Amino acid sequence: MVASAVTDGLDRLIHERLRLGIVSALAAGDSMSFHDLKQILKTTDGNLSVHARKLEEAGYIKVSKSFADRKPRTAYQLTENGRRALKGYLDNMETILTEAREALERK
Amino acid sequence: MTIPTQSDQQHAQETLAFIRRTMESASTFTPVSGWGLVACGAIGLVAAWLAWAAQIAADLRVWIPAAAISVVFASVANAQKARRLEVPVWSGAFRRMVWVMTPPILAGALLTFAMLVNDAPHMLPGIWLTLYGAGVTAGAIFSVRAIRWMGVAFLALGALALFTPGLGLIALAMGFGGLHIIIGLDIVWRHGG
Repeated sequence: MVASAVTDGLDRLIHERLRLGIVSALAAGDSMSFHDLKQILKTTDGNLSVHARKLEEAGYIKVSKSFADRKPRTAYQLTENGRRALKGYLDNMETILTEAREALERK
Repeated sequence: MTIPTQSDQQHAQETLAFIRRTMESASTFTPVSGWGLVACGAIGLVAAWLAWAAQIAADLRVWIPAAAISVVFASVANAQKARRLEVPVWSGAFRRMVWVMTPPILAGALLTFAMLVNDAPHMLPGIWLTLYGAGVTAGAIFSVRAIRWMGVAFLALGALALFTPGLGLIALAMGFGGLHIIIGLDIVWRHGG
């Protein structure tokens, strides 16, 4: 996607498709395992862990590790910061559409 | 004000659709197997026939094994469908669905015991249908719409059986047999298997 003056103001961190997917999925369910997220977003282990780590570093998601049947289980949860970021991003998208509609009506 | 370009606008629309899709697949349990429900219905019809042959509508020797076999069939079919659709079986939505359905089912077990102790087995078909209907209707908020209608129909059959216990066995056959098969086939038709 080519950046324009409008998209410059967007939260780059969740502008990336997979990271946006992670945040959206977590906004719908309270906590989700690595495995569930991977299947919902149809991505690979490597991709998911790289992007999840970025979101974790930004404080958008919280990671908890535990053991279930002796297998390590990683679960993700959206933080308040992450929820706010997604809301801000949605507001941005809405503004773009509203402005486009207004511009159309002015013509 | 900056005027969004055509591509900004398209991107925004497409992004909102993506967010919506992702949230939907994270919060609904879609792999309810239609064939699994049809199998449960077939088991329900066999159970109803056995109960009729034994002349005891709510014959626990028939219905408890039938329920256990149905749970196994439905679980295997759901797991297979989930694998085919490449979605998680034990997803957050499914976990919540199980949690929501468990209390009415446990209440059903408790009431079954209480009715037997109080020598009122004629109330059992109505109690089973009503509580199963309550559980399915509630659990359906996490799944496809057909399941909700199935729950409501079970509640209606439950009401029928509670107030006309003579129709208990017919209501059981219509519910655990007929409704499962009809809704199962609807899911097979609409949601692919």
